[in-house]
Amino acid sequence: MPFSWKHQFFHIFLLLVSCRHIKTKTPGPTPPPLAPISPLPTADRSVVFKGESHTEKLEVLNPVSLTLECVWAGNHPKLPNITGFWKKDGEAIENSHLTVQLENDQYLIKRVFNIVNEESLGSYSCIFGNEAKVDFLLAAPHIAEVRDKPIVSYVGDSVVIPCKMEEPKPKPNTWKWYKDNGTAKEQIFAAGKLDRFEIKNENGYTKLTVHNLTEADSGLYYCGAVYAIATTMSHVKLKVISIQEPLKPFIAIMVEVIILVTAILLYERSQSKKNSTAGNDVNTDQSHIQVQEENSLEENSSMRQRKI
Amino acid sequence: MSPTPVQQLGNKPPDGGWGWMVVFGAHISIGFAYSTPKALSIFFKEIQKDLLVSYSDIAWISSIMLAAMYAGGPVSSALVNRFGSRPVVMLGGLMCGVSMVTASFGDSIIYLYFCIGVIGGFGLSFNLNASLTIISKYFLARRPLANGLAMAGSPVFLCFLAPLNQYLQDKYGWRGSLLILGALMLNCCVAGALMRPVRMTLKQSYPPQKKLEEQPDKHITRIKGTCMENAKKFLDLTFFKDRGFVIYLIGNIMFIFGAYAPIVFLSAYAVSRGVEEYSAAYLLSIMGFVDMFVRPGTGLIANSKWIRPRVQYFFSFAMVFNGTCHLLCPLTTSYALLVVYAIFFGVGFGMVFALIFECLMDLMGNQRFPSAVGLVTIIECFPMLLGPPAAGLLVDVYGDYKYLFFMCGAVIVTGGLFLFVMNIYNYHMLGKEKAAMDTEQKQNNIDNQEQVSISEEEMQQIPEAAMERTNPEA
Repeated sequence: MPFSWKHQFFHIFLLLVSCRHIKTKTPGPTPPPLAPISPLPTADRSVVFKGESHTEKLEVLNPVSLTLECVWAGNHPKLPNITGFWKKDGEAIENSHLTVQLENDQYLIKRVFNIVNEESLGSYSCIFGNEAKVDFLLAAPHIAEVRDKPIVSYVGDSVVIPCKMEEPKPKPNTWKWYKDNGTAKEQIFAAGKLDRFEIKNENGYTKLTVHNLTEADSGLYYCGAVYAIATTMSHVKLKVISIQEPLKPFIAIMVEVIILVTAILLYERSQSKKNSTAGNDVNTDQSHIQVQEENSLEENSSMRQRKI
Repeated sequence: MSPTPVQQLGNKPPDGGWGWMVVFGAHISIGFAYSTPKALSIFFKEIQKDLLVSYSDIAWISSIMLAAMYAGGPVSSALVNRFGSRPVVMLGGLMCGVSMVTASFGDSIIYLYFCIGVIGGFGLSFNLNASLTIISKYFLARRPLANGLAMAGSPVFLCFLAPLNQYLQDKYGWRGSLLILGALMLNCCVAGALMRPVRMTLKQSYPPQKKLEEQPDKHITRIKGTCMENAKKFLDLTFFKDRGFVIYLIGNIMFIFGAYAPIVFLSAYAVSRGVEEYSAAYLLSIMGFVDMFVRPGTGLIANSKWIRPRVQYFFSFAMVFNGTCHLLCPLTTSYALLVVYAIFFGVGFGMVFALIFECLMDLMGNQRFPSAVGLVTIIECFPMLLGPPAAGLLVDVYGDYKYLFFMCGAVIVTGGLFLFVMNIYNYHMLGKEKAAMDTEQKQNNIDNQEQVSISEEEMQQIPEAAMERTNPEA
């Protein structure tokens, strides 16, 4: 409710009049202290449309006094009057119903909104009559998803979790990190040098380094980009596993390799035994030495097997 | 050169049988070798965050790994010459496994450079070199097919490692993934176990056995001598006297210079043409998928009676085809055309890579191939590392990707044409040399026959075929 001195004096006057007989030592109810009025910056956004449903996205960084204006020019019923009202997040705003006159072949409706905190953000819609509307989506800059797959790291190791606000978007004032401990988000403070957590903030991005990981450190981590108006979050999942996990397939494959190599060599040994009993073949070692001999002796001959 | 008894042991490669298991082993080994440096890039973003380094610092890991893989060629060749393929591949597999496992505990980028880059890279070079060598020992008649099948390991493994790495990273993070990847790379040891040294089949029966048993003593002392020679062969520069080798090398350098840049920049180019990121990445998958089938297919074609003698020309054709694809790429205006380009790129790339080592084997022959391939890979290190940055520079200077494709296409086409022309010249010269040598050998043979007929009572009949084998073939 807009505050005015006139109202207040009127209240006091009424009280004095009705409470004549009351002797009070205090000089009547003190006026409620005025909230400091630091003037909000103003901004406005106007959308001209032709009756089709229209959505406008607005990025809000700081508290602002925002004037939203909808102009319906074209494709409208040429009624002299039409009702117009505003909705926030799907629910009609009280006292926003107006009768709009047709001027210059346009219907125009506008309203000033004070966007001061996170609750003020959301979806604002201006509606003409029953159908024609424009949606204004007010939000703080959204962080692009860091990654959809979990970061995997090992017990005792360190891991770096980054969070970045993409280039064209405005940089946040600061960053905050939270860990989901099952029930709520708990903020992470990187206290001193001895702490396991280390937060490094630079304008456009932030990095959370966790040292000496334990399995309890697994879970969802949220990075919050703090703007004056609100904090936007993005999450990354961290999975901490012990060294045993990859060790199992490693050992399995090693065993397979050893088995295969042994099998192949044994098969070969049994084959050569069979052959040597028949007595036709030379021992492989000897033949190998002799092959070497051939190699060195025939060094100078150039053998191009052009014809088979 | 007078024939010695040893040379009467048949040197005929099996061309089948256990050879196909060896091809399978080589497939795995080569697959890991080529696909690991690329597949590791999936972990880079995570590692970059944890180790707090920039993206260009991380990208060095791949470059160091590739450089070590190519530079390790001569070391690998020397080891293969000394010990044979099997121990080298098993050592390579072990090194790769160890490199990944130690890297998973890493805390600094330098540590990762060393573990993954140096140790991993050298491990992969042992794998690559030794696998190619053993194919040349096991196959002759069906060698192009064997090569094609083995080289197909690269796209197959990339196709399989890329999503696997993504899954592992989501489940275990980059450390756990590297650990498990290390275990997977130990499968190269399994591949190595499959690489049985080639059995020599005696063409003679028992009586000469005595002689053969004596010979090992002599041979063992001789081996010490050859060991020293092997060390000198570390970087055998006498290869540069071989005309065919130099031609092959120049053509290859040109190809490698232009080959990798289009792969690196394909997605970025597609995105710049208005394709969305996911579809752009899909182009590379299409290319890899096509590559997978083209390599064995090319091997099969190269094996055919008509192409096999002319495989060097087929190789030049493949290079020109690849280069032309790149030259035409800037004409692609829509996503559908880009897909067509990706398919043709896959075909061209697969054809070249299926033949790249087959041609070297064809030129160098069985015995000289291990050393030759080591030398080739270490020299190819330079164009491989310089190519993509040079292309990137073009993009930065002109602001347009089409110059990148023009440059790469032009270089590759030139390389292909160079190979084509120079091979015609080379064959021509070799034909001349052969004619000259044949007349000379006929003289020598007449002299030798007289000597050998004296000792013929002690040995079995010397098959004529074995005699001819000692003559240099054109």
